[in-house]
Amino acid sequence: MRVLKGLLWPFQTWNDLVLPVGRIVSIVAIALMVAAILVQVFFRYVLNNALPWPDEAARFMMLWMTGLMAPMAYRRGGFVAIDTILVLLPRVLAAALSLVLLAIAAVVLGFAVRIGWSEVTGFGGRFATASLYLPLPDGWYRIPRSWMMASLLVGVVLMLIVNIELILRNILTLLGAEDLKEIAPAEEEIMAE
Amino acid sequence: MLIWFLPVFLIFLVLGLPVFFGLLAAPGILLWMAGQERDITLLYRNVYNGMDSFPLMAIPFFMLAGELMNKGGITARLVEFSQALMGHLRGGLAHVNVLSSMLFAGLSGSAVADTSALGSMLIPAMERQGYTRKFAAAITAASSVIGPIIPPSGIMIIYAYVMGESVAALFLAGIVPGALVGVGLMIVIKFMADKYDFPVASRKSTWAERGQASLKAFFPLLTPVIIMGGILLGIFTPTEAAAVAVAYALFIGLFVMRTLKFSEIGEVLSRSATTSAVVLLLVGAAMAFKTVVSLSHAPEIMADYILSLSENPLILLFLINLLLFAVGMFLDAGPAIIILGPILGPIFVDLGVDPIHFAIIMSVNLTVGLATPPMGLVLFVASSVSGERVEAISRAILPFLAVEVLVIFLITYIPALSMTIPRLTGFAN
Amino acid sequence: AEHTETITLRATANSNENDEDYDGLIVFKNFVEQASNGAIAVEMFIGTQLCSNGAECMQGVADGAIDIYVSTSGGTSGIFPFVQVLDLPYLMANDRVAEGVLENGTEFVTTMQDMVEETSGGAIKLMTIGNTGGWRNFANTQRRIETPADLEGLKIRTVVADLPQELTRALGASPTPIPWPELFTSLQTGVVEGSKNGITDIMGMKFPDAGLQYLTLDGHAYMGALWFMNGERFNGLTDDQKRIVVDGFYQLQQATFASPKRKSIDAYQAFQEGGGDLYVPTPEQKQMFADAAAPVYDWFTQNVDGGKAVYDAMTATVEKVEAEIAAQREATIQ
Ligand code: NA
Ligand code: NA
Repeated sequence: MRVLKGLLWPFQTWNDLVLPVGRIVSIVAIALMVAAILVQVFFRYVLNNALPWPDEAARFMMLWMTGLMAPMAYRRGGFVAIDTILVLLPRVLAAALSLVLLAIAAVVLGFAVRIGWSEVTGFGGRFATASLYLPLPDGWYRIPRSWMMASLLVGVVLMLIVNIELILRNILTLLGAEDLKEIAPAEEEIMAE
Repeated sequence: MLIWFLPVFLIFLVLGLPVFFGLLAAPGILLWMAGQERDITLLYRNVYNGMDSFPLMAIPFFMLAGELMNKGGITARLVEFSQALMGHLRGGLAHVNVLSSMLFAGLSGSAVADTSALGSMLIPAMERQGYTRKFAAAITAASSVIGPIIPPSGIMIIYAYVMGESVAALFLAGIVPGALVGVGLMIVIKFMADKYDFPVASRKSTWAERGQASLKAFFPLLTPVIIMGGILLGIFTPTEAAAVAVAYALFIGLFVMRTLKFSEIGEVLSRSATTSAVVLLLVGAAMAFKTVVSLSHAPEIMADYILSLSENPLILLFLINLLLFAVGMFLDAGPAIIILGPILGPIFVDLGVDPIHFAIIMSVNLTVGLATPPMGLVLFVASSVSGERVEAISRAILPFLAVEVLVIFLITYIPALSMTIPRLTGFAN
Repeated sequence: AEHTETITLRATANSNENDEDYDGLIVFKNFVEQASNGAIAVEMFIGTQLCSNGAECMQGVADGAIDIYVSTSGGTSGIFPFVQVLDLPYLMANDRVAEGVLENGTEFVTTMQDMVEETSGGAIKLMTIGNTGGWRNFANTQRRIETPADLEGLKIRTVVADLPQELTRALGASPTPIPWPELFTSLQTGVVEGSKNGITDIMGMKFPDAGLQYLTLDGHAYMGALWFMNGERFNGLTDDQKRIVVDGFYQLQQATFASPKRKSIDAYQAFQEGGGDLYVPTPEQKQMFADAAAPVYDWFTQNVDGGKAVYDAMTATVEKVEAEIAAQREATIQ
């Protein structure tokens, strides 16, 4: 039990510290998405001069918003699931079933991290984005698609870390530990439909 | 063998695996067992690509607009306005609940948002007037499905995205069916009100009071006019309309009605980003799932099977409605549309059903599924908002579901109900 | 008879069964399966079931999840920017020239194949270049376009790729990126006022119903269809099988050359019967378009990686093919 708690600590601390940073970046991203699209409407409708980049820039933001916000939602149990059976089962059995489900999720995420890495570093990542440039001292640098694809990779890596924390918590609960630090509760969050 | 993805998926789902993981694990395991490892990569790639879409961006935007409106006290003004119109009727607050949902539907694309925004306000108010809590929760849940039927609509954005239809056409086609659901619910309320002697909410408002309530609700009610008007006049695309709705909600909340504080915006953004992230991942996973569905040639097999039952579109539409209703009991509308749309849509279009009409049948049916026991999402939300048990709400909602099923069949067999507005505006043939 | 395992080639095209890509693939499938006596099977996925855009599908081709994929130049310009040479306006005068230039073995096609091989590190082979949808023309909802001056200020939908945008701007119009699925509605409501597409796409998407009633046959770009194959997959075939596949792609190419010509007859007729205005610019007017578009050539050779090499190969091949065609004509006339 002590070993397990020692193991839990780094994961829990990481998630406590890193996920809120992701949340803040996501908030900025969703605001910038709105701004980019409004800029496009203004330039096209008012100035009759559509810009090439707002569409892609907004998608860039949306993907990063998703990759950075999903881990926090997952940690707080915000993923849509049917928990009828888990509620009906006795406590120990429910914890055991949860463990199995978490293990399945871990395998999915493990595959995702492996594939995601080869995707980002692979051929598809070498495609240039259609319209996104970064100003560098020696001119405009064309942003590669891998910068966009990295959003999902980062998302699944963070979710895998969350998943490990949840597994450790689950085992500890099964073993009867009661003094675990709570996961910061969600603000009144509306779950997805 | 790949064809087993569906039962495996359902087992995972019932055991309680989050839908996102179920959509990936079930086909993933089968691909792995079949030695098709290269296709597991395809699965991952389609999650990413399923999310990387311009039209889908309307989903976070409409969510954000809805949240801002709700924070901005706009919901309260819509309820006040509804009360001035219908509060004096027998069963007044029940009618107000439905009418508010119809108005709220013009600002929001989500049934869940409707249930939580209106439910937290109206369920306690109805209880104070002597309605049972389960009845109040049930009418809230039942009427909230109007949210994604009257435009804007998250579900229709997803349908249009997956099937390559025009978002604007689907939006326009949803107006009459959404109003029909509302009217149908009001008729049920009227019967129940007379039978059980429901309370009257308030005395009849004077025209001056009505005028005042209208004035207060004027800016919020302008939102659907801006969204649909802007789309119809070619000022912006539906995705852009969603961003404009955000800007408008911010503007009237901060500066016109001054019911929104700058300090609240961060939290609203955070909530919308969270909800959107979960939905987008789900859409991505469903797109990946769909890839494996087509690798398994399940669509062809199912199409053959369906056409072997009958070739009469009227009979098939009846059967499909039953199927969709059953699916809607267990699965959320978004994933259900992504998985079933590409299988069922082409069959019916080939049989001569207009694609827009079929989109509406499917969207409305699966939306009603959000309020059907045992797994209807808005039932759970209504339960958490009201504190009433899901089982109790599930029983109380049955008469309302009955009328919603009736509406589903009306719009199935009278295409003009959906098609007239898109045709008159030139968005459908 | 000795038993060999069937090789299944997985082919995908992001279009539909009314498209030239489909016609080509059907011919390919039929040829390869018959010629190999069933040893090679072709499994077709038409649409976006497997992947839905150039970047994603090409990644599938690179890692072997997809064996064969067809893309327009726009879909692959993110990784092979030089393929935009096909979008350079008014370089090839007509179908006959284009078909000669795109024949496998010409300097142009060999250059393109080498550049694809090199850029992809051998992961991807460019098998052949066919056609998809004929020629791109300017179409709009507002007025007849006779000279570039008539394009002034029109919002024309283009894909988000550099060259089409440069061209549209050079001709005085305003390039406007609109996703393909939103184009119908955007034309209808006036978010954009025109597009540059082939006639079969225009009719297939029912754009005239959205008000797209003015079509000018300036033929500014040949809609080349680039057929790619996974390199490892191809190299893993026996020499006999390779020959069959290569011949299959030749058959495919010929089918996609022919198909749009046949289809466009009905499409043009339907367009005019629906009240559409079809305008053929005079040679002088066409020259005005070409002059106005001239800055695009410089832009291409100076800004695009490999642009100069592929442009030179293209113009040299065009010259050679035009000479051959002229000689053939003369020989027949004699
Ligand atoms: Na709505
Ligand atoms: Na309601």
